[in-house]
Amino acid sequence: MFLKKLLFKNKTQDIAPESGTGSVLIKGDELKRSVDKVFGRSLFVRLVDSGSCNACETELSALSNPYYDLERFGVKFVASPKHADVLIVTGCLTRNMLNPLLKTYENIPSPKFVITAGDCTETGGPFKDSYSVCGPVSKYLNAVIHVKGCPPEPEAVVSAFLKFMDIVKASAAC
Amino acid sequence: MNKIMIDKHDIESDDFANSAENLKTSGKYLLGIVAADERVLNSKFSVRYFFGGTEGIEEYCVKTDESFRSISKICPAAKMYEREIYDLFGLLPEGHPDLRPLMLYPENWDSSVHPLRKDYNGVIPEMKKYGGYKFKEVLGEGIFNVLVGPVHAGIIEPGHFRFSLAGEPVLQLEIRHFWKHRGIEKVCEGKDFKETLDIISKISGDNGVNIAISYLEAAESILNIEITERAKYIRVILAELERMWNYVRDVAWIFMDIGFALPAQNLFGLQEELMRLNKNLSGHRFLFNSLTVGGVNLDLDSAKLKAIEETLKKVENIIKDSEEFILSSSSVLDRLEFTGKINKKTAEELSLCGISARASELPRDTRAEFPYLIYGRLNLKPYILDGGDVFARTALRIKEIYLSKKIISDLSSNLPEGNIAVSFESKPEAYNYAVGNSETSRGNAFFYIMADDKGKIFRLKYIDPSFRIWPSIQYGVLGNIIADFPLINKSLNLSYAGNDM
Repeated sequence: MFLKKLLFKNKTQDIAPESGTGSVLIKGDELKRSVDKVFGRSLFVRLVDSGSCNACETELSALSNPYYDLERFGVKFVASPKHADVLIVTGCLTRNMLNPLLKTYENIPSPKFVITAGDCTETGGPFKDSYSVCGPVSKYLNAVIHVKGCPPEPEAVVSAFLKFMDIVKASAAC
Repeated sequence: MNKIMIDKHDIESDDFANSAENLKTSGKYLLGIVAADERVLNSKFSVRYFFGGTEGIEEYCVKTDESFRSISKICPAAKMYEREIYDLFGLLPEGHPDLRPLMLYPENWDSSVHPLRKDYNGVIPEMKKYGGYKFKEVLGEGIFNVLVGPVHAGIIEPGHFRFSLAGEPVLQLEIRHFWKHRGIEKVCEGKDFKETLDIISKISGDNGVNIAISYLEAAESILNIEITERAKYIRVILAELERMWNYVRDVAWIFMDIGFALPAQNLFGLQEELMRLNKNLSGHRFLFNSLTVGGVNLDLDSAKLKAIEETLKKVENIIKDSEEFILSSSSVLDRLEFTGKINKKTAEELSLCGISARASELPRDTRAEFPYLIYGRLNLKPYILDGGDVFARTALRIKEIYLSKKIISDLSSNLPEGNIAVSFESKPEAYNYAVGNSETSRGNAFFYIMADDKGKIFRLKYIDPSFRIWPSIQYGVLGNIIADFPLINKSLNLSYAGNDM
């Protein structure tokens, strides 16, 4: 009974009002068209946190909330690297996470792409001089795209995917 | 200034090990153990034990050259702290039952190098295997192990979990953490108080404000800064806003993990609104850089106060629905009740804090126990429940959301006039130290800071609530089926980043 009430009371628009999210929709539609064409309707992404403060993860999780709902554009975070096309890396890269990061990368089938998200992946952030940090990530993996921000906002990540698709399309064309 | 009064004692290691039992029976609990290399002062290392209780905070200081008596067997909460000290300082806790390396992995670190000693020369050991790590074993017919992590299936931080099972029920869970150990304490050494604030805000991003408040309590006490009333009010409002979005997210994840997408998505939507409110108030979705030494960086004008008020109304409506949902659905209750039970005794032995302690009948809430800012005037009584299960922790979070809402409403309608920050010239007295406390959404955040003779950080130690609470999940899952682990984990929702430091 209660479920029914809730179902009818909250339409999608109430949960995620369109106002203010318009740009996400426009970017998302474009993203979906590219993903449909290049990746056969689904772009699978695997995340590795190499030593973040967890704000980056919170924002990447927010991509699944009703305001962004990234999956409707064909982009899905998957459990296994074996299923993934893209590896997203966050964090300053600690010594302890180096091996798990490289192993995850190895297990992604080719062709594979790396996206780095958050300022720590570029510079090591405030932790760059620490004894237990061996990053930044660029020392070990070549990223196609870096998403700036501390942490990058969800919309910035959507834009980054769009840019990523452009690069992939351009390289596929030549 | 409500500076925390500490009852200080200097004591010999052997005597302290003998009296630890008495401390425990008198109702005090371990807040943390802080080691420091103070050889430049008195050619000794110091090991400081902080105990909390109804009469405030007590400190016991032991001086040593190379070893001290372990109190882990009397006080199991000490176990992780002592392992940490053995790793980072190389001081041996005599009689410790488990001295495996903690944060410095033998897979890539030479165990003879102790980076927090002042004579550590900064040379980082070559990246190669120096040794192995031995996990505990459970043997017997039909027993098998399920290994999970460090890289998990979702958008989560890294940690390694090892389940030993016979059928579905969990016989043992062993956790190996510290994959994200960033060496933050060492990074802060030699930095000034403002630079350090930027670094410690990134210990655990989702609790940045509350952790910063704890740091500022200690820092401003060393620097002798008295912040304005208005700044105090704004700090509390920001702290409660952060607590609120954290709890909204936590409850959302609990619904998500039991497969009730509808209330979960409602709450995820609400979390987004709260984060947008944060951005509206401070320019940052996580309220980063809102606080500063001596006050706050943002003022709340009438437009901002109105935005807060409007969002709070939505919060109340949606939370009411969620609460009704939990209480009226037998299938929800079936998943939440009696799942992941942490007994009161276990909670006491492990010195738990925050929601995890309050769900197991322990009235521990830093806002009431060791009041800071203006919490002392609010006369808060910690909510407690006795279930110790996922349901109790969920129900408490919902109560806390209402409480945060009330605090924010009350304070924003009575915001005192004044400046939001005070300038200061003061330099700390050499080798003076102070502690700071605050209640994050997970529990007590504890800072110990000692200044050096140049007015910079000599030693900074932070104890995250997650560091205290993580071991308890190993007891909470016993006898539960492995499929309930994600739910139990979410009901505690601990930080890996804060734990690993």
